[in-house]
Amino acid sequence: MQKTTLPERPDWRAHAEEVGFTFADMHGEPYWDETSAYALSLEQIENDIEDPSTELHAMCREAVAEIIASEELMAQLAIPEAHRDLVAESWRRGDPEIYGRFDLAYDGARPAKLLEYNADTPTSLYESAAFQWQWLEDQLKAGVLPEGTDQFNGIHEALVARFAEVFEPDSDLHFTAVADNPEDYGTVEAMGWAAREAGLGAHYCDLDKIALSEDGQFLDDQDRRIAVLFKLYPWEDLLRDDYASHIAGSGCLFLEPAWKALLSNKGLLPVLWQMFEGHPNLLPAFFEADVADALAGRGPAAPACAEAFDRAAADLAAAHVRKPILSREGASVSIHQSGKVIEQSKNLDYAEHPRIVQAYAPLPEFDGFRPVIGSWIVGESCAGIGIREDRSRITQDLSRFKPHYILA
Amino acid sequence: MTKRSKRVSIAIVGAAAFTLAGCEEEKVDAAAFPDLQSCLADASSGGMYTQQQCETAFDAAQTLHVESAPRYDSLEVCEEQHGADACGSEQTATQSGSGGIFMPLLAGYLIGNMMSNRAGMAAAQPLYKTKDGRFTNAARSSTYSTNRGAAKLGTSQFTRPSTTIGKTPMTRATAASRGGFGRSGGSRGFGG
Repeated sequence: MQKTTLPERPDWRAHAEEVGFTFADMHGEPYWDETSAYALSLEQIENDIEDPSTELHAMCREAVAEIIASEELMAQLAIPEAHRDLVAESWRRGDPEIYGRFDLAYDGARPAKLLEYNADTPTSLYESAAFQWQWLEDQLKAGVLPEGTDQFNGIHEALVARFAEVFEPDSDLHFTAVADNPEDYGTVEAMGWAAREAGLGAHYCDLDKIALSEDGQFLDDQDRRIAVLFKLYPWEDLLRDDYASHIAGSGCLFLEPAWKALLSNKGLLPVLWQMFEGHPNLLPAFFEADVADALAGRGPAAPACAEAFDRAAADLAAAHVRKPILSREGASVSIHQSGKVIEQSKNLDYAEHPRIVQAYAPLPEFDGFRPVIGSWIVGESCAGIGIREDRSRITQDLSRFKPHYILA
Repeated sequence: MTKRSKRVSIAIVGAAAFTLAGCEEEKVDAAAFPDLQSCLADASSGGMYTQQQCETAFDAAQTLHVESAPRYDSLEVCEEQHGADACGSEQTATQSGSGGIFMPLLAGYLIGNMMSNRAGMAAAQPLYKTKDGRFTNAARSSTYSTNRGAAKLGTSQFTRPSTTIGKTPMTRATAASRGGFGRSGGSRGFGG
């Protein structure tokens, strides 16, 4: 794995404008940055990222079954008591998953480590599946990259196949996101294109325009009944909205399904460690409430995880990360090294949520930037990657998207 | 065997065009008139439509107006959506209407060539004012800058605004409330 400086495509900004990629710059900083790219070998892609990601998703499915069977775990993941049946039912019915994105720390040599699973509302789909793909095609055509150079990016094709597998031809799907957020909207529209290519009808409606009919179904902004709703809006918020109690009786299939609330939650990480301790792609992780005293030297860890904590104590004491179970874009994440806080995000949203403690896997550094590998799961398999890098140790909303390629 | 998609053609076209993206839509000649008189005048000076077509289309738009014009329970709310003096009571528009329900006044109509006798399509659409001085259709799914002139328009602009109540997806129903989703998240983005 290396980072290579490459000439930018001379017309990429015009191309971005033409295809509606309006957030190529964000907060006055470049977001899409093709002045350099990450290069990986085919072995690194397949053995270190693709196969482990597919395996991690299978492990996550096992974890869902485990969490659903335990009221205690449901409570630790802060699933509101009133909606635990909704979550459990969506799993028992087999409501289908469409996509998700693992965030991995990977340096090209040691096993990739799972940082978290954006299993419910992952964004950056458009730039990963489409803009990055076009970049490679253009650079091949321009001779900037040699013939035979490839990219791990079958995301769009996999989504089309997934929609075709899950839905009857001509089914009508609705897509929703919070109004006026171009970044979220880009992901939703990329999803809509895949659905249409799979022969389905795709309709968009702003989230706050959704209505409830007199007979308890959800309606779009033109009062049409919604049978399937892809929502780029997290379950933890849906379950706390006014319409939460109407979801179960609405007959509407939500995508991602409610059981994804258990995976997009950092409480997943201690559950995975408990189930698969020592797995090469996992980091030791615990619920903070179970180990806070033990970490501070004030007492023992909770009995259920005391032995596992002892085995991980040295790693955690060397350095660990504390993350709220529901945080996004690095909010309220702090890194602790030998008892000191060495980095803390300025965004303190979610600070009031329960936290987990995870052993620290430093991101590798390339020219002062630290990349995180986003590995995309479509259905149950890994279909591609997108890389974001940040100057900070905590990847936040000023991170840049970097294209990647597979060496010929 | 490559590790990437063979073809990816995606553009972010925006919410208004979401449904139409990805397929080349059939276009038809269309014209808008503020009222029947201007269509008839255009016909007598050798316009695109005959007087007969003007009248048929105007009748069709009138019928849709009665069936599908947006309804409001107060004059204020209606004028908020359509501008001052752009609304009247349902009773004035249709004999069987209620004096307590308000709807926008017909501000023109849109005629599409070759659109009659197609399933789910209407040969003409009623037009209403919007609060910012433009024009919209009964479903309020499209906005037009003027109620006079000719253009090539996609056939979807002539989708019959539905009033049917059914249980099938995409059929229309009466909203008991709106806006029950989205509050918990505030205004931040939701991606991760």
